Amino acid sequence: MDTIIQQLFNAAQLGAVYALIALGYSMVYGIIRLINFAHGDIFMVGGFVGLLLTTRLGWLPFYLLMPLAMILTALAGVAVERVAYRRLRNAQRMSVVITTLGVGIFLENFVRLTVGPETRQIPARLPSAPVHWLQQNLGAFVTWDKLLIILISLALMAVLWLVVNRTLIGTAMRAVADNKDVVPLMGVNLNLIITVTFAIGSALAAAGGIFYGQAYSIDPYMGIDLGWKAFIAAVIGGIGSIEGAVLGSFLLAGVEVITVAYLSSNLKNGIAFGLLILLLLVWPWGIMGKPTLKKV
Amino acid sequence: MRLRYLSLLPLLALAACKPTAQEIKIGVSAPTTGSISATGQSAKNAIALVQDEINAGGGVKVGDKQVKVRFIIEDDEDKPESAATVFQKLINQDKVLAIVGSYTSKCSNAGAPIAEAAGIPVVSPWSTNPNVTKGRKFIFRACFIDPFQGKVVAQFATGKLKAKTGAVVYDVASDYNKGIAEVFRDEFTKMGGKIVGFETYNTKDTDFSAQLTKIKGSNPDVLFLPNYFNEVPLQLQQARKLGLNAVVLGADGWDNPELVKLGGKVMDGAYFSNHYSPDVDAPIAKTFIAKYTTRFGIVPDAAAALTYDSANLILKAVATAGKADSKAIRDALAATSGFPGVTGSITYGGSGDPVKGAVVIKVENGKFVFDSAVNP
Repeated sequence: MDTIIQQLFNAAQLGAVYALIALGYSMVYGIIRLINFAHGDIFMVGGFVGLLLTTRLGWLPFYLLMPLAMILTALAGVAVERVAYRRLRNAQRMSVVITTLGVGIFLENFVRLTVGPETRQIPARLPSAPVHWLQQNLGAFVTWDKLLIILISLALMAVLWLVVNRTLIGTAMRAVADNKDVVPLMGVNLNLIITVTFAIGSALAAAGGIFYGQAYSIDPYMGIDLGWKAFIAAVIGGIGSIEGAVLGSFLLAGVEVITVAYLSSNLKNGIAFGLLILLLLVWPWGIMGKPTLKKV
Repeated sequence: MRLRYLSLLPLLALAACKPTAQEIKIGVSAPTTGSISATGQSAKNAIALVQDEINAGGGVKVGDKQVKVRFIIEDDEDKPESAATVFQKLINQDKVLAIVGSYTSKCSNAGAPIAEAAGIPVVSPWSTNPNVTKGRKFIFRACFIDPFQGKVVAQFATGKLKAKTGAVVYDVASDYNKGIAEVFRDEFTKMGGKIVGFETYNTKDTDFSAQLTKIKGSNPDVLFLPNYFNEVPLQLQQARKLGLNAVVLGADGWDNPELVKLGGKVMDGAYFSNHYSPDVDAPIAKTFIAKYTTRFGIVPDAAAALTYDSANLILKAVATAGKADSKAIRDALAATSGFPGVTGSITYGGSGDPVKGAVVIKVENGKFVFDSAVNP
């Protein structure tokens, strides 16, 4: 039996989660040239917020529960920026990068101490019956939750694209990304734009965390590995570019899944990352990235 | 407080730490935190039981004196590098006479060479990988080894389940999982079965859907998941969601209440090989299970039962040796014959691996139910 279509859905689900994380990396880098290594842990926090809400407020329907978890995690992301990064905005770059690593370690241990180190799963709130149509017509056994996770993720990405490209605040974000020294002189509130960027990035990561906790599982350290993968996906796509982050994520997930499906699960990471290094040799700035020249 | 009093503090601390001469110290290296902390908890419970039992009777008899026993439990976090540190600390700082541990094979493989070099006898309760004791004089275990376990599962699959085709998904970065997967593959093939999928992942991976979808394509009768209890439910859940309906088999790494807590209904109907079943009839096992259940409020898993046996094996060896000397304890351990353990009779026939049987357990309505016994 041919399982390629089913494998494509596997890749799409994984890629959707990578993309939800990668967007946060890319947006923050785009605005303030900061690689926020704590972002993977914000994703983890989002997963645990989702778990707590699902277990404590079980009566809340999923379409309210998810936005609530996203808002709470966005507040956490904004708080991290306000407390740990803002004062260092003009410090040398290495200090800020080390601070982001420190914040990540803090978040991991905070969750480990308060919730516990065990692997957990968010109780399923999406229907897990197989999609009949896909089974009948394509012979692919795909459950509704997998399809919904992919579709909701794509919808969130579309909303993000509209916000960035069609709203005033989005215009301001793009302007700051272009030149963060001059734009504030035109009356744009830089702090507000940065806060909004962290809030959006964290909310998307939270959505990724909730999906991940339902489709796979969550634990306090999951943000490390997944954060790396999403970061790599963002770099492959061209860091700073929203379209690039999405493209890089689906590409990485696709290569991983195809390697397992047609070559060997032993070589999954080796082949996936080997290919990505080759890609970077061809496009050093990432697929959608713009080369930036240092002005002297 | 004046500064000159402060300088006295270290002295006070030393006085408090100084061991009484009438005490025997035995180290325990267990994963009390980390991803399989539930196993570490079983170990702690069983050790507390042994310590209270022996000291209630005045301690262990060494020569003509009764000496109290103190177990020192250290956390190896289920990480090989931590296990090495823990073994070093127990041997060099705590000066223990013997060690119970570690639990997973990868940790035992990291700790064992250190104990071997220092001449400190070790009894590992739960490490089933053959390499743990191989070529070592001071390392023993209380459990059977993977080649036997892999054979038990293969026999069960081809015999009772009449399976013709089988597939395996295992953690390639863990000695235990890898060893048992390979034995199962070879034995299953030898018994006339066909392995149609042999897929790997790495510790901490959470997405197994690509491997499972690939296996689904070859539609096996049985799916063997020789992995730990914190991962198996997620693997099985993903398998079912991908429409993979094979009968699922496992090994002793499954044996923890977390398995059904995490997996729920999805675990029902799966089988795994184990060291013992709480349903066994032996009086010594019944007494242990009753005591443990009353004190801790849960039925002991195999890790708890094996820890209990390991600690008692060492205590018996101390009594037999008649002196608090690691080398003499090692010799007494090696000569163990017909030791009546909770998990069966233990005899060391010239190596650190005991000759003992296994049981197959079925998961039914979230409970572990005895299915059959297999003897070597």
